Amino acid sequence: MQAELLLRASNLIYSVGKRVILDDISFELRRAQITTIIGPNGAGKSTLTNIVNGLISNFEGEIERAPGLRIGYLPQKVYVNTLMPLSVSRLLRLTHNASDQEIEHALAQTGVSYLRQRQVHSLSEGELKRVLLARTTLGQPDLIVLDEPTAGVDISGEIRMYELIGELRTQLQCAVLLVSHDLHLVMSKTDQVLCLNQHLCCSGMPESVSRHPEYLALFGQQAADSIAIYAHHHDHEHDVSGDHAAHRDD
Amino acid sequence: MVTIAAPMGCLMVWQRLAFLSDTLGHAAVLGVGLGLLLEVTPIFGVLAVALLIVFALNRVNSFNTALSETTLAIISHTGLAGGIILVGLLPSQSVNLEAILFGDLLATTTVDLILLLVTTVLLLLVLRHHWRSFVAVSVSREIAQAEGVEVRKIQLLMYIMIALLVAVMMKVMGVLLIAAMLVIPTTSARLFSRSPEQMVLVSGLYGLGALAGGITTSFHFDWQTGPAIVVSAAVLLLITLGITRLLNSSID
Repeated sequence: MQAELLLRASNLIYSVGKRVILDDISFELRRAQITTIIGPNGAGKSTLTNIVNGLISNFEGEIERAPGLRIGYLPQKVYVNTLMPLSVSRLLRLTHNASDQEIEHALAQTGVSYLRQRQVHSLSEGELKRVLLARTTLGQPDLIVLDEPTAGVDISGEIRMYELIGELRTQLQCAVLLVSHDLHLVMSKTDQVLCLNQHLCCSGMPESVSRHPEYLALFGQQAADSIAIYAHHHDHEHDVSGDHAAHRDD
Repeated sequence: MVTIAAPMGCLMVWQRLAFLSDTLGHAAVLGVGLGLLLEVTPIFGVLAVALLIVFALNRVNSFNTALSETTLAIISHTGLAGGIILVGLLPSQSVNLEAILFGDLLATTTVDLILLLVTTVLLLLVLRHHWRSFVAVSVSREIAQAEGVEVRKIQLLMYIMIALLVAVMMKVMGVLLIAAMLVIPTTSARLFSRSPEQMVLVSGLYGLGALAGGITTSFHFDWQTGPAIVVSAAVLLLITLGITRLLNSSID
């Protein structure tokens, strides 16, 4: 049985002037599944998340959302005006109310409960990302949209954050839409990969995407190999290095 | 007036809209001129022009960009220039340009006061009802929109409220000084506020202080009231700055 359908995008086309940003994109987001969007700079990754989020409305095609779909969103960049005093706990109450315990719990999950009373302006980029990730878990979201959640986070924190995203999916039973460039780190947790370069180059399970010729053309063999090593933990059917060596010869 | 200037001033500073009130203030001169020309109460002329401008801006303004300073400056000064020409063409005894520009608290009529009161109550109710959304939009339009706040609606509401506020404050403060009254107490309050709500309360207190200072000096030294209030607000800001500097250096 397939998990509950939360969002279906059908044949999305988005262009600015004559420049086509997204060309005929279709996919589905289902409960408790992690979908990762990968693609080079300018591929339209953020544009696609903005359409999912409802930030862009003048696109062609169709977005069907499950009724009452609640989204938690972590944007790529957040600049809080320095003229605005804002504590971390107030930031966590930005769009819905939350009890002190809920806030404490959310911050503890991302390992930053010590920041609760701090002013948002005094946080480092990595600290702010963790706080914002904690924020997305409040308010019983059905879907969490994370646009480059680990930019500015140190490498050990990054691995921890991806683990956490996997745990959150299980705990909250929410869908996760993740934009990432850290291909090799996210792959092991991902259920569905959308490889984007204006059009949907390929999509599907991580292992199948990493062998797709369009993917290889975009990211090169090295990236594919590094993913394959991770994929190997879950897939004992074939010899990874041999398989890919063969693929390169194709 | 202070009770509404505090939250509105804070929101405008947070959303980088302070310059919009200045623009509407300048363009209000045109509104006064039109009001007199059409023989309606000037405040309605001002309101009409202000609403026209904010609706136009709301249409032009895209989701992600702040209002362009260039656009605002063009509207601001065109409105002011056009207004001055228009007022100049009218019979001179009917208009006191100085009162428009700098306000005349002591010439405020009962009708003005009732309008001010009604507007204040109305705006406070709207703010109270949508406060979380207003703050959310100030922090991040993207997050707010994604998580169910109708950002476009809140933005238009904010613009309309600013237009209303400028129209009713004009008589007291004068069109040139409205922006100052919205921004200066807010800036003082920022210096030692730890939350958005606290900043609103503290800037309300600063506004009251400035009002009291302005009216007192105006009464004793025969200063014009509007400018006296603004100068009082600025003096309070300087004193606060001095105190926070001293406190910080004594901690070091």
